[in-house]
Amino acid sequence: MSKNIFLYSAILIFGLIAPFVFPAFKVQLSILCVLIVLATTWNIQGGEMGYNTFGNILFYGLGMYLCASVQVGMFFPLAEWTESGGEKTFVHTPAQFFQGMAVGLVVAAVVPTIVAGLIGYAILGLRGHYFAICTLGLGVAAGEISGGIEIIGAGQGFTTPPFPEVGGLEARGEFFYFLSFGALILTFVAVRAIYSTRFRLILNAIRDNEDKAEAMGIETMKYKIIGWMVSAFFCGLAGGIMGGLVGYIDSTDVAFDGREMGVFMVLMAILGGKGTLWGPVIGATVFHIFKEGFWTFFLGWQYVALGVLIVVIVIYFPEGIMGWLREKYPEKFGEVIDEKDRKAQVELK
Amino acid sequence: MKITRIILSFISAVVILFSTSVVSFAKVVGDKIVLGAAISLTGKYSSNGVHTQNGYNMAVDRINSMGGVKVGGKTYKFEIIYYDDESNPKRAAQLAERLISQDGVEFMLGPYSSGLTKAIAPVTEKYGVPMVEANGASRSLFTKGYKYLFAVLAPANLYLDVAIDLAVEKNNGKPVTVAMAFEQDAFSQDVRLGVLDAIKRTGSKKVIDDKLPKELNDMAATLVKVKQMKPDVLVVSGHTKGALTAIRQIAEMKVDVPMLAMTHCDAAKLSKQHGKNSQYALCASQWHKTLTYKDNFFKDGMKYAADFEKEFGYDPPYQSAESSAALLVFKDAFERANSFDQKKVRDALAATNMQTFYGNIKFAEGGQNVDKPMVLFQVMCDGSGKCENKVVAPTKWASAKLIHPIPKWSER
Repeated sequence: MSKNIFLYSAILIFGLIAPFVFPAFKVQLSILCVLIVLATTWNIQGGEMGYNTFGNILFYGLGMYLCASVQVGMFFPLAEWTESGGEKTFVHTPAQFFQGMAVGLVVAAVVPTIVAGLIGYAILGLRGHYFAICTLGLGVAAGEISGGIEIIGAGQGFTTPPFPEVGGLEARGEFFYFLSFGALILTFVAVRAIYSTRFRLILNAIRDNEDKAEAMGIETMKYKIIGWMVSAFFCGLAGGIMGGLVGYIDSTDVAFDGREMGVFMVLMAILGGKGTLWGPVIGATVFHIFKEGFWTFFLGWQYVALGVLIVVIVIYFPEGIMGWLREKYPEKFGEVIDEKDRKAQVELK
Repeated sequence: MKITRIILSFISAVVILFSTSVVSFAKVVGDKIVLGAAISLTGKYSSNGVHTQNGYNMAVDRINSMGGVKVGGKTYKFEIIYYDDESNPKRAAQLAERLISQDGVEFMLGPYSSGLTKAIAPVTEKYGVPMVEANGASRSLFTKGYKYLFAVLAPANLYLDVAIDLAVEKNNGKPVTVAMAFEQDAFSQDVRLGVLDAIKRTGSKKVIDDKLPKELNDMAATLVKVKQMKPDVLVVSGHTKGALTAIRQIAEMKVDVPMLAMTHCDAAKLSKQHGKNSQYALCASQWHKTLTYKDNFFKDGMKYAADFEKEFGYDPPYQSAESSAALLVFKDAFERANSFDQKKVRDALAATNMQTFYGNIKFAEGGQNVDKPMVLFQVMCDGSGKCENKVVAPTKWASAKLIHPIPKWSER
């Protein structure tokens, strides 16, 4: 266990000093934290429970709009803020900004959780492809609907409150970095705690054979809904932070960005290895670095590279990086081959 | 746990990667002035993104080959770092941050579209980086009190209100009925606000007010309504795709409407792609090659169009022209500031008062260009089916007379 503590404190220390060691990369690091949160929470459904959802982007977008709306609405009339593409200008004082952000983030986390409970009750009875298609529709519909709601800016988008002038140039980046890093730690600790309980076993039972799990007396529906609500909580939180970080919310391109974020979270979890605790973390990190690298050095080819990456993952690493490592070095994962048993089996043949 | 070691080595690899990839450019390296730009090279704005990039490149080459920028007795050349923002505001904001804090860029050129400019402006503003942008027309960009944002173009609400005035004029001063279809996007919705103002001003009536989805590929539902309601004017705006979709479906469905007003006809190369089907479409434009503005670098619109065609193989849409103009503005400001200090350059930009081949440029307090009117052109075809865009309004620049009303499809 001592090694574990060593690992976690190393990561924590890296996380805490990173924005000061690599000040120019603060935004990228913040986004990385958000990506890890999204991949980790997707993994609860896609990896542990075997329900491939494309709907988590719904909670992310919802959180984004909610956080910004609350932050504005607490102090100014929201309708005037967004009217005519945000022509009128209101300025938050630093106290208003941070209070608004704090309340906004709570709302951004709680409301999507409730929504997940309600929607989950309605659609988690669907299985396999049907569930995937249904959730895909949810994300797309949310994008189109929010693009028509005037009070949140409709098609003209929603400019979130600008960061107040406190603490110099780097303050904004540092604030959002530590916010997203905090969200990452919170998510990771929570998910790790959940995975160490019976809950994970139940999710795995649902994945492996839902009917059998039900036959064994597990109320699968209840656990499926709870699992989704946990994801929604952290997705909403991540969305709220991301909205403030980007500074401008567009219905389909930033908030309900199913085409990018919605697909990326699946991709990252699969790349790292779904159904593992560390897989999504590693997957998101590798993916982010890969993508940023291609953006810089192979401008115009990044999507081709992304396509190649997907093909390579599917063909060579269907179990993800963690799965591949596990197969290659089973002993490092605590798997022991019983020599006697193996020999016995060989002799049988 | 054995896996710990794998993860640890992985983390150290990440650290090494990050620390080695810190490449720093400076704003002025040797004899180069480095400008940064996030451009939509992929995604829904990619065609206009390329028009923008071509416009920038054209001006950079021209200014560099004609002696560059003279600051403090030394000659400098322009260079642009491009990134692809994928037509996504989130990405654009991130790239602006990256250009400024990682690449050390101290002067920026704008992206394509109002939405992306809205996402980038807060970032450039925060760092005090002067940005001359040529493709963000949304009115709300200029009411935010941004100090470092300068737009060489007229704001979006002025695009099509002229068309309504024109329709009223042709209706003997009597109010008209207007059908509107606008994409759900910052720019198009701003054009809508302008049209709404004009409708109110002239006492006209809107009979259809549809919002169209992004990635506009079908507007048949709106056109069915237009066929039923028979409005005097149909106004459509949705960037390049909106223009293409409108023309295609209006021709397919044989929709008769006395006046069809749009945006982005030249960027969509309508007259080339749809030929006679696009005839009579009335288009808002920031610039047209027949306008008689002049400067020392491109001479005038006709010369610019010819040079551009030679270089890139197509007639320049106004998106390219205004992008080229942005560089001329920067050059002028650098030379007047005679310094690379961001504040001084900003003040010089604010005091800009010049003529370019693209039009007069003078910035208002909010950063928009107030010295350049919009023009309307109409697609006109001759007997052989060759189509051309001809300016019909305002009268000062008109090179042809407006054809109104549009002949019915059955009579064409």
